[in-house]
Amino acid sequence: MAAPAYPPWVTRWVSGQWRNKKRPPALRPPRTLALADKVANRREQATEATCITEMSVMMACWKQNDFNDAPCAEEIRMFYDCVAKAEKERKNQNEDTLSSRGNLPSSKVNKLLKRFPQITRYV
Amino acid sequence: CHSPASLAPRRIMPVRWSRYNPSYLEPEAKKESYQKPLEELTEEEREQMELKAVRPIKAAPPSLSSSVFSDPMISKFTNMMMKSGNKVLARSLMSQTLELIKRKQVEKYHKAPEKEKETIECNPYVIFHQALKNCQPIIGLSSITRGGKTYQVPVPLTDNRRRFLAMKWLITECREHKHRRTMMPEKLSQELLLAFNNEGPVIKRKHVLHKMAEANRAYAHFRWW
Repeated sequence: MAAPAYPPWVTRWVSGQWRNKKRPPALRPPRTLALADKVANRREQATEATCITEMSVMMACWKQNDFNDAPCAEEIRMFYDCVAKAEKERKNQNEDTLSSRGNLPSSKVNKLLKRFPQITRYV
Repeated sequence: CHSPASLAPRRIMPVRWSRYNPSYLEPEAKKESYQKPLEELTEEEREQMELKAVRPIKAAPPSLSSSVFSDPMISKFTNMMMKSGNKVLARSLMSQTLELIKRKQVEKYHKAPEKEKETIECNPYVIFHQALKNCQPIIGLSSITRGGKTYQVPVPLTDNRRRFLAMKWLITECREHKHRRTMMPEKLSQELLLAFNNEGPVIKRKHVLHKMAEANRAYAHFRWW
């Protein structure tokens, strides 16, 4: 709908015709002033890389000990723990709840809105 | 229906996709689980036993064995060494490798002075497992394209991937970088003993990978998982 058709009394009232103060129409909405049942497609921000601190600690240890694994066993164990934890998080996370940053991706929002649309008329 | 005459081998029992009904359960090969008395089982194990009495069970694959000598890592390694489905040859090579390792270690043991005799490991399975563990890389590189350029980003690897890489490196090293006429068990036993002592070309390859990951650690933020 290019120019939505409001009832004529609305147009007359807004233009000030009844108050003797005709003025050009104050509002010229190009589309209907109502919420649509979908959200614009937004490119989801990439999640940050996990376990970077553990990895850098381990690499510093490697640099000191000439890349031997035996003296760095503790750091390596911590890195593995962090990786396992991140993997578990990722497995549990992909549901219909909020992501770690508190956003829902636009596709999921659209699905929800389609299930519960705006009721424009009663039958 | 006949396959094109000359090239394709014809099966005796033609098979299309075969998939078990999801109600089929996996076979249990370990003898210990059948020798436990009823009282020792936990709630879940009792439920599992009852389920097994009712549901059908899948056929056991030929690689599944209940023997004490079977080792999943060694079976995996044998499968990776196998060429064109010649499992007999791969298995014999593997057993010859283990025998050679044992011979070399026992020879070393008998020649060593009394004090060092305890430090020499003679069990070829222990040597195999330790050598594989020493060869496993801890961090890998993956190519990620950003803005048209491909970067090598350091990335953590899963357990399976690390095991696979260690075995693959060992086998490739033995197949390609040795003299043509040495036998595979000899080459493999040599490589495994070197890897057990943290020396040798496979360990060097692992270190090279670690060094590259360390050099590229600035790109670690390109990961999104």
